[in-house]
Order: sequence, then structure tokens, then C-alpha cells
Amino acid sequence: MMTVRLKVNGVAHEGRCEPRKLLVDFIREDLGLTGTHVGCEHGICGACTIMVNGESARSCIMLAVQADGAELMTVEGLMQDGKLHPLQEAFREHHGLQCGFCTPGMLMTALDFLRTNPSPSDGEIREGISAVLCRCTGYQGIVNAVRAAAATLRGGR
Amino acid sequence: MKPPKFEYHAPRTVDEALALLGRYGGDAKVLAGGQSLMPLLNFRLARPAALVDLNRIPSLAFIEESGGGVRLGAMTRQRTIEFSPVIAQRVPLLKEATRWVGHLPIRTRGTVGGSIAHADPSAEYPAVLTALEGEVVARGAKGERVIKAADLFQTYLTTNLTPDEILTEVRLPAMAAGTGYALEEFARRHGDFAIIGIAAVVVRDGQRCKTARLATAGAGPVPVRLRAAEEILERDGLGEAAIDAAARKATELVDPDSDIHGSADYRRHLTGVLTKRALVRAMGVARG
Amino acid sequence: MTDPRSVGSAALPRLVGARVARREDPRLLTGQGSYVDDHRPARLLYAAFLRSPHAHARIVSIDASAALALSGVTAVLTGEEIARASKPVRAASKTPAVKVTSFPPLALGKVRHVGEAVAMVAAESRYVAEDAAERIVVEYAPLPVVTDMEGALEAASPLVHEEAGTNLLVAREFARGDVDAALASAAVVVRERFRFHRHTAICMENRGCLAEYATGSGTLTLRSSAQCPGIVRDVLSDLLDLPENRIRVVAEDVGGGFGAKASLYPEEIATCVMARRLGRPVKWIGDRREDLLATSHAWDEIIEAELGLDRDGAIVGLRALVTADVGAYSIYPWTAAIEPVQTISFLPGPYRVPTYRGRTRGVATCKTPLGPYRGVGRPPAVFVIEGLMDRAARRLGLDPTEIRLRNFIRDEDFPYKSPSGIVWDRSSFTGSLLRAREALGYDAVRAEQTQARAAGRWLGIGVASYVELTGIGSAIPVSPGMPIATGTEAATIRFDPAGKVTAVFGVASHGQGLETTLAQIVADEVGVPIEDIRVVHGDTALSPYGTGTYASRSLVLAGGAAIMAGRAVREKMLVIAGHLLEADPADLVPADGRLAVRGMPDRSVTVREIARAAYTGAKQLPKGLEPGLEATRFYDPYYGTASNATHVAVVEVDRATCQVSVLRYLVVEDCGRMVNPLIVDGQVHGGVAQGLGAALLEEIVHDDHGQLLSGTLMDYVVPSACEVPWMEVHHLETPSPVTLGGFRGMGEGGTIGAPAAIANAVADALAPLGVEVAELPATPERIFRLVARATR
Repeated sequence: MMTVRLKVNGVAHEGRCEPRKLLVDFIREDLGLTGTHVGCEHGICGACTIMVNGESARSCIMLAVQADGAELMTVEGLMQDGKLHPLQEAFREHHGLQCGFCTPGMLMTALDFLRTNPSPSDGEIREGISAVLCRCTGYQGIVNAVRAAAATLRGGR
Repeated sequence: MKPPKFEYHAPRTVDEALALLGRYGGDAKVLAGGQSLMPLLNFRLARPAALVDLNRIPSLAFIEESGGGVRLGAMTRQRTIEFSPVIAQRVPLLKEATRWVGHLPIRTRGTVGGSIAHADPSAEYPAVLTALEGEVVARGAKGERVIKAADLFQTYLTTNLTPDEILTEVRLPAMAAGTGYALEEFARRHGDFAIIGIAAVVVRDGQRCKTARLATAGAGPVPVRLRAAEEILERDGLGEAAIDAAARKATELVDPDSDIHGSADYRRHLTGVLTKRALVRAMGVARG
Repeated sequence: MTDPRSVGSAALPRLVGARVARREDPRLLTGQGSYVDDHRPARLLYAAFLRSPHAHARIVSIDASAALALSGVTAVLTGEEIARASKPVRAASKTPAVKVTSFPPLALGKVRHVGEAVAMVAAESRYVAEDAAERIVVEYAPLPVVTDMEGALEAASPLVHEEAGTNLLVAREFARGDVDAALASAAVVVRERFRFHRHTAICMENRGCLAEYATGSGTLTLRSSAQCPGIVRDVLSDLLDLPENRIRVVAEDVGGGFGAKASLYPEEIATCVMARRLGRPVKWIGDRREDLLATSHAWDEIIEAELGLDRDGAIVGLRALVTADVGAYSIYPWTAAIEPVQTISFLPGPYRVPTYRGRTRGVATCKTPLGPYRGVGRPPAVFVIEGLMDRAARRLGLDPTEIRLRNFIRDEDFPYKSPSGIVWDRSSFTGSLLRAREALGYDAVRAEQTQARAAGRWLGIGVASYVELTGIGSAIPVSPGMPIATGTEAATIRFDPAGKVTAVFGVASHGQGLETTLAQIVADEVGVPIEDIRVVHGDTALSPYGTGTYASRSLVLAGGAAIMAGRAVREKMLVIAGHLLEADPADLVPADGRLAVRGMPDRSVTVREIARAAYTGAKQLPKGLEPGLEATRFYDPYYGTASNATHVAVVEVDRATCQVSVLRYLVVEDCGRMVNPLIVDGQVHGGVAQGLGAALLEEIVHDDHGQLLSGTLMDYVVPSACEVPWMEVHHLETPSPVTLGGFRGMGEGGTIGAPAAIANAVADALAPLGVEVAELPATPERIFRLVARATR
């Protein structure tokens, strides 16, 4: 068993786990943050995507012990002061989710993508969100939502 | 899909890492970015006694210009390469290839050394290393050695690194200003491994082609340098007929395997198609 | 009787028809969903299954001692042990067309497909459970493997189920008129052998369940990623010999279903048995490998079909033979008949087909069982009939839209009885095609195509029109001969004394937004703001009797029930309000969320006052009126209703790589009265994306030994955002004449139309080469081979 100390959404946590424990399982089971989902455990579907030290990464192909000392952000940390993040608002307004299972990973991916490319074309949005598979929406609502959120975020909100 | 048990070490120096590898005598695996190894562990297709995690060795993450080339520490993230001005200026082919490596969240973790040492024949970096005639540096108990790209890749997922060695550095010659380059890739879905990929580099001298370099991804168990196709271009220049001839020759130089994504025939056909596309685009970029 | 809707409409804006933002979104966007895996009760054990590495083998012995010796392992169950605690599942059928076979929860005696569950471990973590599963030693004696569906019908073939005496589990025929004579005298006959390969749903949430057995009260609670909690509850009662009132099945948030979660699965039974045996909660969360191996697959059919037409392009007859590889087991409750019979039933499409003979065969093989998946049978059926229509058009020199217009069931033909006995109510077959032509700018695109062809480009336009049966009532089983009744759903609408509404349904939502659409309907019926309504679904302990969500039924059936219950409640509200205001209920009108006497806005009561009166006793109520303000109503649409659409795809095939790019995609759909256009669009988009996956990318591949070659998401390729085109969706709203509210079901349609539209577009692009597209998915490899053969 190894000790893992990390910050998630600004809150410090400490836990002990086997070295083989996947980061996503640590987040969900040991920290009780079940917003991050497990979809494939081989790095393809992107449902488990979180922010590790400010950059999006798959938490199903990272070990919890590797995150010792890291600052993570999960979907639970997106809302600020009781208000939905502009991405969350846009996903709701543009019907960017149906079953909601890919949504946390999609939001984290879109957040990172818009930081690297604040004014994307639709094609670039598609490329950016192609990191996460969604089976419900056909991506159209998501593309619309990311485009709208980009405009809001550029507007400095 | 949970990994089997293993011991875990996160050394702070390469020497410590080498000592650990020595201690396990071939039963340990080196963990770099983990974007290939972790899925293998989750499927329980890999069962090492121990993981030696290189992620906490700061000295392995760097990008440096040196002499006529660029040195990249093995643990340099693909994401760092993607946004590196040095790479954009000195080895733009590597930057272009990086955009084809998985997706941004994969590139956040994935490393240049990990991708090359994993030696997936469909991956982009081994093809780039091969096309640019780069080298890697390996360190082992007996010291350091430099391995040329042509000698590195043995077969599927196999390099000539020994189990007690660590790939520490990747060295790429700088591409002279005006060098033409392109990486063309065909995958069924964006971000997937290539069914076929072609890395092309051309140095023009007027209508002549001073140097041509072509290397494949996905066209066999290792990246293939398409030397005979390069020779056509170096002899006949970069006209349409020469490019067509080189592309035709390329199809004869590869011996791809079949799998559920594409037959050997189709891959051979694609090798020609993408060789031509890569050369046409590289020519468009080339000056001189 | 007062029309309650006219009452509601005057007070509050009508919500049915409005683009209401989804009410489930805030929790799903903030990581507060409640999926099965989010639950971790105290003393929880985690389960893992040992699965068969063989496609067909006798189980000689199972030794679990090494697994049980591992620290952290609580128990191991095998097929023989579970057989003492649960009956095997037998998807019974009322029709002799289906041979009934057993589906044991854990393999008993032999395994019949790679990935079949052989043993189950319960341990302190999933990690340890997997360690233990690896340590179970099973000795197998391999048997000859049956993988080829046509070979499986030969007399010499090994049998998958000895009890059936044959691998032919399903055989059915539909006939109308003398098709042989009609085809013999037809001016043109087109024929083809179509192949639609194996597919699977890939819900982003893998299947999973969590069982808790309370030994004190003898009650079993199963949380499951199920579409049909009611069906699971009913069958568990039978299998486990527990009364239904002691079983609660809960499906809160479910991460996609698409039909694949509509069946009972072995893991659900095994998890219940394990939890009951141990008296501890047991959770099994399938991983993606298990999902690809052991969640039902779809389609996998060979369809030989011939279409005869007269000189003017009018259909004179259709003859077809469907052969489906139904895999190793007949899935409950739908049976092995669901896919092959649905395909042959819907083959005539929206056309007047005067003579027909359709035969269908469902053949057992050593592969994962076939089950319902979005569209069930109709994606292959539409691929075939629309492919034949295009072949006929080419032969006759007709435009593909023209040949369809000449053959559609016309307005004057409704209600039209199809050759397989389905009755189509008034639909917009012609209207949808004409609208699609107009919206696309069909003639301009054809002109572009001519230019593109002249420039050597392979550009194609594909059209597909279809009709589907949705919201099926009690007259027709959802799957032929199936053992359960699926014709009704219920709603309970209940006011609390504070005037807020809880609406409870037996259906379950797993992405369709039913918490929003059903709330819209309830709001309109009872006349309260949507904020005051909470929709509860997917919990058999809370809901009136129901089965669940499948077959594009929930909005039609639950929506109809909501209308009935809402009207009943509204009637009672008016009676109580009339009593409180000393007025005739017929004279009451809504005003600002209150009910007022017509012309006297000062004489009014609030909804809250009415609700309080309903619960506070006889003094406030008219003499003899039962206290309380709630109603439960069951709705049975009897036959059900039709939905139809026309899809148009414009594609380009890359001459060099043979890859298909979809340049434009357009849908004109008619789901009757739309409750929420935002959600309707979303359903179309998602359906088309899955249909596009089926047409171009996704394929379950086995080798000759029955080993799965597409066992990862790298090898089973579902589309990402880069492969899915922008989709233009247009709506016609022909209210259903036969359902309450005029609703028609529409969750599956996108997937029904897209494969055919794309296949036809690819064929049109390649028409200059004289090749046809008879096999889906149309992968670059397959197109490469088609082109190579044509140009050799």
C-alpha cells in the first residue's frame, strides 16, 4: 500500500492504495467523487478525462500513485460559486448531452481544448472533442455548445 | 480490466532506475507516459513484476538545440513537443506528426521516448525517427550507447534495447530551412493508429531533388525506409512522373500484414497513394 | 366535459411543442448523476466473471480452490451451484416458429460462445475479484465450432443446442398473393444477396448491476443499468422464486441503452443469487471487454431479395429470404426471433407491394447472442428494399426519387395493411420525400454531381425512405410470440398538499430526456408550471405496473397515460375548486395560476388551496368526494402508430483511398406532434450517427474459431466527432390519428434510415463503374475490392 496526497478541485486529500490502483478508481472509490466515469479502461473513449496539473488526461490509464503531489480537477470542480460554468450552460442550452455518461470527460476535454484554442473553427472543435466518444448526440449539440461557450469565454465572463 | 499486481518504483534519477531494472533482471517494465503500457496492463496482457516509473526523473524532460540537431529527453511529453517553438522551427516534421498522435489528452501524458521504445509499427514517431535518420541514446549498466534509427526497430513492439537499458534521449538532425516535409496518414477514425502513414522529407535544389527521405508507418513489423523510391526522386527530380514512379516503387518495397482494418493489398495500395500525397505536399513546402 | 387542455392553455404557456431545456441536465453536467456504479453500500462486495475462452466446449471440471484461497475473496459461484438457486432463462414463445432453448445464468455443461460467463467471484475489490477469476481452473473439452450461419443449417453441422435438435431456432414466412407469377411476368426483376454484418450498441456506460438482499424482510433490491426494470422484476420473481412485491428493480441514471440494455442478462441473475446467498450487497460493473463479448449484438443477416416491377416502375412483387446469425442464445424476453422476424416484416417498406413472400430463418451459432438494437431489423430491411429500389431505378432509367414517388402508399390508401399484416396509419411518405428534395436542392445537387463526375470525382446521392411501427399497443407483440405483454404503460400523477406534483412512470429514461418531455405533457394537462413537477421513473417500487423503455414506445405510451391521469386529476381539481368557490366547475377558468369563476377574477382559488383542501378532510370537499388528489391511468394505444422519414446523403468516395466522406446529410422526419423539438433533433442526430457507424465503420468480427477479433474500442470503431457530418433535420408534423396527443415514437428512426441512405449514396457515387453496394459496413477495404474488381 502506498500513500497518495493530492489536491482535487482545490481540496487536499490523502489516501492509501495499492500501486496498481487506477487513478479513476481512486477518485471514484477512495475520494467518493463519482462524477468522473469509467468507459473503456484502455484510453479510447475519454469518459474518464480529468485535468492533471491543468492539462486534460485520461484517468483510466494513470495510476493513482502517479498523481501523488498533483493538482486535479474533475467535473465536480467546474461549477463556481453555485453557478454553472459557461461550458455547462452551453451544453444545456444546446442539448450537448443525453445520457450524460460521456459528459464529464467531454467537458474536461472541451475546457482544455478551448484553453489551447480559444477561437476554434467547427472543424477544429470536432477534432478537439474527437478525443471523447459520445454515443447519444451525434456530436452536433456538443459542437454547437463548444462554439457557443468559446464565444462566451472570449467575452471574458 | 484492472491491472495485475506489481511492485512500483518511482526513482528520481536514471542511475536509480537502472539499478532497479538490474535488480529485477528483465521482469520489470519501464513506465513512461503509460498511454500504451497502461492499456496492456489493464487487459492483463502485460504482467511485469515491477514498474519503474520514469515520470519523476526531471532530467529526462528537455528539448535542446545542439550542434546541427535537436535533443529531446525521453520523457518529453508529446504535448510539449506540439507547442514547442524550437521543434516548430528546427524539426517541423515532428510537430506535424505529433498532431496525429492520439488526441490532446493522450499527448498530455505520452512521451517521445515512450512512443519510440514501444515500437508500435503503426505509430508516427518511429516513422519520423526513421525518415530523419535520427538516433536514440540508451543507457544501461554498462554505460551509454547511441542507436541509429535503422538499427533500433527489430519487429512488432520490439527494439534492440535490452531489458536493463533505458532509452534516455532522442536526437534528430535539424531540418535545414526550406526543407520540404509532410506526414500523410490514413486511419479510419481521427486519432487512431495509422492503417498507413508516410513521412516524407525532400531537399530541393532547383528542379533537382538533393535528398529524399521516405518512411512508413503500418506497412510491416517495423518502419520501412523506402530507399529505392527515394533514389528515383534523387535521380529524376520532383516532377509528376518521378513522384508517380516513386509512389509505384514504394508499393513494391513494403510487405504489410493483413488485419481487420485492412488487407495487405489495400495497405500496399495505400502506401503508394500516401507516398504520392506526402511528396506532393512536401514539394509544396520545400524551397530552394 | 371541460377540455382540460383548453383550461391549461389560457393560464400558462403551452409546453408541448416548446424547446424546453432538459431538466435532467444540471445534475448530469455537475457530476451528480446516479448511475449504478456510483452506489457503494456498506459491506459491498465486488464481482467479476470468469468467461469462456472457447466458442464451443464441454466443461469437464471447475476447480475454484485457488481462487477461494486468495485473501479478500468471499465466494465463487459456478453454473451447477447457481442452477440450484435459479431456473435457467427460457425465452418462451407462443409461436411454433420459435424453438425454445435454455440460457443458463452461468454456463452449464458446455459453453456456447467466447465470453460466456462460466463462474462468478465476489471479493473485497474488483481488482481482487479479477485476480481470483484468473485462478479458477476450468478444464474444457473443445467441441467443433459453429460460426457460419448457412453452414450451421447443413445436416452435418454440430448443434449449438441439442435440445432443439437443429440450429434453426426461428423459421417464419409471410405471404400475400402469387409472387412467383408476378415476378415471372414482371418487366424488370432486380435481385441481390445483401449482407449486413454484426454490430453492437456500445453504450458509453457498460452494463452493471448492484444487488442487495435484506434477509430480515426477504426483499431483494437490484440496481441495474436496465431499460426495462419492470421486465427484469417480473422475470426475477419467476427465476428466483420470490414474490414480485419483494423485488425492487431500480434504474436511475443509465448511460445509454439503444436496445442493448432492454434484455435480461445472466449477470443480473447471478448477482442477485450471490447477494442472496451471502446476505451482502454485490456489485458487478462490466468492463469494455465484457461489453464487447457479452452484451447482445445486432443484425448479422444475409438477405436474398428480388423485386419485380412493371414497365412504369410500379412494384408487382417482392420475394425474400432472410438468414440471421442469432448467436448462441435466445435472449429474454424478445427471443431469437426479434431481429430476423422484424427484418422480414418490415421489408416491404412504405410501398404498395401487391404480392410478397418473405421467409426468415434465425440460426444458432457459437457467437454472442443477438438482441434488440436501435432499429431492430429495420436498418437491414431498409438497406435491402431501398437498395432494390435504386437498382430498379437504374435499370428503368428513372430518378431514384421518382421511382419511390410512384410506389409510395398514397394518402387515399391509409390505413394500409402491409403484406406482413402491419397497419400503417396516415403518414407523410410522399410529403417527406418531396420536402427532402426541396430542402436539399435536389436538382442542383444532381447538376453538381454531373460536373464532379466529368472531373473524375466519385460523388453520389443516396435517398432512403422508411416507415416504422412505434408506440405498439396490446394488439401486436413487440417481438413475435414473446412471452410477455407490452401493450400498456401507466402514469400516476399525485399532488401533495402544498400543490406540487409528482408524476411516476413505469418507463425508464436513459438519455431520451423523458423527465423533461413527460413533465411538459403533465404541465399542460394539470395546468401547473413545469418547475412544480417532479418526474419519477425507473423504479418498480415507486411506479405503477409497467415494463420499461424500448421499441420507441415511451413517449407514446407513458405520454398517453400522462394525458389520461392528468385529465383525471384536473377534473377533480375543478370539482374541488367549484366546491370551494361555490361555483359550477364548468364555469371555472384559469387565471395567473389560479382557478377563477368566469368573469369574476376575484373569486378564485390557488392550486395550493385546492390541493390542501383535497387532503384536509371532508369539510372542505363536496359531499361524498373521496379525499386526495391523484390518479393512476393505464394507456393502451392498441395497434400503435407509424413514424416515417426520408434521409438523403451526399457522399464522396476518395478515388485513391476508397474512403467515404459524407458531405451533406439531411433528414425529413415525421413523428407526429412534437413534444420538444430540441430533444427530437437530438434523437435524430444520435440515431443517424449510429446508422453512419453501421454503414461505414462498425463491425463485430470473429475468426473461424469464433474468437472475437474486434474486442477493443480500437478495433470496434465507433464514430468520433470527425466522422459524423453536420446534419440538417426538417420536421413534418402529421399528428397520429390513433394515439392520445397525436404522438409518434421516434427514438430509433435515425439508425433505420442512415445505413440505406449512405449505402445508396456510395453506390450512386460508384455507378460509373457499374458496381453495387450489397455489403455493409462499406469500409475502405470493401470499396477498394469492389473498385479493383470493376476496373480489372
